[in-house]
This record gives sequence, structure tokens and C-alpha cells, in this order.
Amino acid sequence: MFGRKKPLWGEKPPLSSGYDAVIIGGGLHGLATAYFLAARHNMKNIAVIEKRYIGFGGAGRNTAIVRANQRTQENLPLYKEGLELWPVLTKELDFNLMFYNCGNLNLAHSEAALKAMRLQTASAQFHGIDIRLVDRKECKELIPCLDISDRPRYPVYGGMFHPAGGIVRHDAVVWGLAKGAAKHGVHIHQGTQVTAINTDKGRITSVDTDKGKINTPRVLNAAGAYSAALSWHMLGIKLPISVLTIQAMVTQPLKPLLDHVVSSGMYHCYANQTLKGEIATGAHMDPWPNYTNQNSAHYIKHQAEALGEFLPCLRGVKFMRCWAGLADMTPDMAPIIDGNDPFQGYYTDCGWGYFGFKSSIVTGKYMAEYMASGQCPDMLKPFNMRRFENHRLMGETAALVNYSPDN
Amino acid sequence: MSLTITCPLCGNRNGYEFRFGGEDKGPRPGDTEMSDPKIWCDYVHMNECKAGIQKEWWCHKDGCGTWFCINRDTLKNNQRSREGDSEI
Repeated sequence: MFGRKKPLWGEKPPLSSGYDAVIIGGGLHGLATAYFLAARHNMKNIAVIEKRYIGFGGAGRNTAIVRANQRTQENLPLYKEGLELWPVLTKELDFNLMFYNCGNLNLAHSEAALKAMRLQTASAQFHGIDIRLVDRKECKELIPCLDISDRPRYPVYGGMFHPAGGIVRHDAVVWGLAKGAAKHGVHIHQGTQVTAINTDKGRITSVDTDKGKINTPRVLNAAGAYSAALSWHMLGIKLPISVLTIQAMVTQPLKPLLDHVVSSGMYHCYANQTLKGEIATGAHMDPWPNYTNQNSAHYIKHQAEALGEFLPCLRGVKFMRCWAGLADMTPDMAPIIDGNDPFQGYYTDCGWGYFGFKSSIVTGKYMAEYMASGQCPDMLKPFNMRRFENHRLMGETAALVNYSPDN
Repeated sequence: MSLTITCPLCGNRNGYEFRFGGEDKGPRPGDTEMSDPKIWCDYVHMNECKAGIQKEWWCHKDGCGTWFCINRDTLKNNQRSREGDSEI
């Protein structure tokens, strides 16, 4: 155990001069696509190019919550299948992803919020998702430390309980996928930067990296928050994305008190208790785009105040550490998934904003199908980039919030 | 994360007094161009997402209400007087 450090995903592979597919970004979407391409589509000659180290970006900075309580008909089936895949993948990868199926409770603090949840619950139930409306008393039964009195500024009116959701250990997913992909022959090149994507007559031909040139007919842009800048600089394609810092933090470890993921749109706050006992919480995005990964006193203060309001037993508890990641937000909070447009062999999987972690496995599965066959699977069709030109934006947010200049 | 922005009327103020108004994309498309969905979509939605100094719109929403452009370094979150200039 304390011997020579050997990564789970093998020793450093040599950079070949040619690959069947090059995936830019060693995050969850990139690794999942690589894994499924190799494991299900028998494409063995694949490279994952990661500028820093795998799991450096959003993959290791999210708050690990998984759920399928989205709002629109296009999103719901994708997240439903995504949720069902965690136990399957745990078995398949033979790696403990620590899927904790604890359920999510969204709080409503007004009649209007309850009405929105009624619609959301009905849509989800229509797709066979385990979800139901709960009243104030049931909220208290689910989370005994919740303050349901009239004391808080925004008292609890009820909520939406989604037992199928929960949390998954995000780092374990990175390591498990990397291990599984490497086992199937995928080359994971960390510390390697893509410097150019080359095309000829509308086709992808090769990728330049700081370690050498790679000939390839297929490139997947799965660079997360950096995907928009990358696509603009390397291919001249602008994306409808704003890159915003999202902040998260954990408290000191406490005895078990919170059995479910609890979230409140009104307080703009969500929280869950990790297996170590820490309360992991977050939600805030900076109101202007930036690539800094910095936290702000402004939001740490807000988070403490919000938690202290609806979970008063947490007052006086100390935040132990905080961090921030980058979210690539689209105007309709739905991702941009596209392929062979405008270049044959160029695929895009970005714009996930809040939803990148919970969607990673299922998108990787379908993206691999897309890249192997060249045909877009029905599941991914609604997310193509032309929807912005065609004014077919998806209404994933119930109420538009001030995330970007778009709304 | 901290950001101080210089409003042309009110001077240096805390960034939270302002509303970000998007990347500067040049003049708004004319009436004839606007009927082309591609041009309008580009103007409304598409971004360069520059990691570095970019020119962008801001509004002093909690102050005088003025709309103005600044150059800001998105990697460091500070305002620059012009592209390539040092921090102000």
C-alpha cells in the first residue's frame, strides 16, 4: 500500500502519432466517453488529452449531487437514465463509486413555488421518475432539524421529494472511469495541452499538442468551462456560453443530522451531509464571468445566513474549507451537444452549467455511440447548437435568474 | 473574489453594485440584418469567453444607472484601462 506510487490508470503512455479519436478534457464527460468508446464500441485507439490532471476541473469541484428532477421533456429522460446508471457502472467498473441513494428534498417557500413544483413533479412522474410533492409536516419528518415554523424570513410551505436522487463520490467516478478506460487501452495524457485543431476541406485531420502532433479523424471538445474559449480560438466557432465561478464549502464534521440532500431555491442554497459528517453546501455563482476559481466573503456570509435560517441547528458551526469551480452556463441551462457540424468529425459536449456531474455517465454513453456511428442518438438530438438560431431554447429554469447577460 | 469597477460618473465602486451586461459585440445589428436569425443569434447569444482581457458592458445598477464599457481581465478579475495596459 505504501510502495511506489502507481496510478490506477497505468503508467504514462507514449503519445502516438495517430488515434481513432482524440478527446480534449480529462474530466468526467471526456473520460466517460473514452470509456464507453473502448468498452462498448471496440474503439481501442483513443487518447484523452488533459492540460492539468484528470479531475482537476469541474469533475473534482462539484458538490456530488445526482438527481433526475429536471423540468423539461428533453432533459428528464436523460437524467433518469443517468441516475439508473450509477449502480450499473459501480458493478461494471468494479470500483466503489459510493452512490448514496439518500433522496433530494427541494423546499418551496411560497404558493407560487409549490405550483411550479406541482408541474415539475407531474412532468417527472410522466417519465416514470420517483418523485412526489410533500407538505410542510412531511418535510419535517424527512429532515427533523428543519425549521418549519413561521420564524424564518421565508417559511417552508412544502416541498418536492425525489427519493431516487442522492450523492456519489465524484473523485471515485474519475478514478474508476480512468482505470476502466485504461484497462481497455485508452491512453490518458495528463499535463498535455492541445494547441491547435487542424481541419482540411471541412474535416478534422489532426490535433497539435505541446508534446507533438496527433493525426485523428475525430475530436471531442469536452473541455468543460474552457470549451467555449477553445472552440473560438481553435476553430472560430462561438458558443452561447458564459463561464461563471460557482462556490461551495463544507463545515466541520458533525454527528449525523441530515439524511437527505436539501435545497432551497428561495435561499439559493443546497446542503447535504457527507459520510464524514461535514455539511457540504453551495449554489452561488458569481454574477460576472471569470476564470478565477476564487471564493468571496460575500457568498460565504450568504451561505452561513441561509443555512442558519432553515437549519437553525447549524448556527455557529464553522466552515472548514471552501473552493470554487467553473460552470459553463447556456441561456437555457441545457447543454450543447453536437457533432459533425460545422466540421466532419468534430464533436462538442459542453455548456453543462449546474448539471455536468449528474449527466456525465449517461452522456458519455450516448456520446460514444454518436462518435462511433456518426449518427446522433435520439436522446441527444434536442441539445444541438442550432436550437439557438431557431429560437427553440429549452425552459429548464422555472424562473430566469441573473446568471448572465442573457436573462 | 473581489472586483472594483470604475463608473465614469461615480468613480471606483464595489463590483457588486454593478450588473454585468455582456461582452462588447459592436453595434446592434440594423433592422434588415436583424431579420437574419443567424446574425441576431450571434449578437444576442454567442460569446468569445476570452480567458484574458476583454471589452465588456456594465451597468451601475445600484448607483447612477449608467451603461458603459470597460476592459477586464477575466483571469484575474481586475479592470484594465486598455487592452495590454497594466491594472488600474
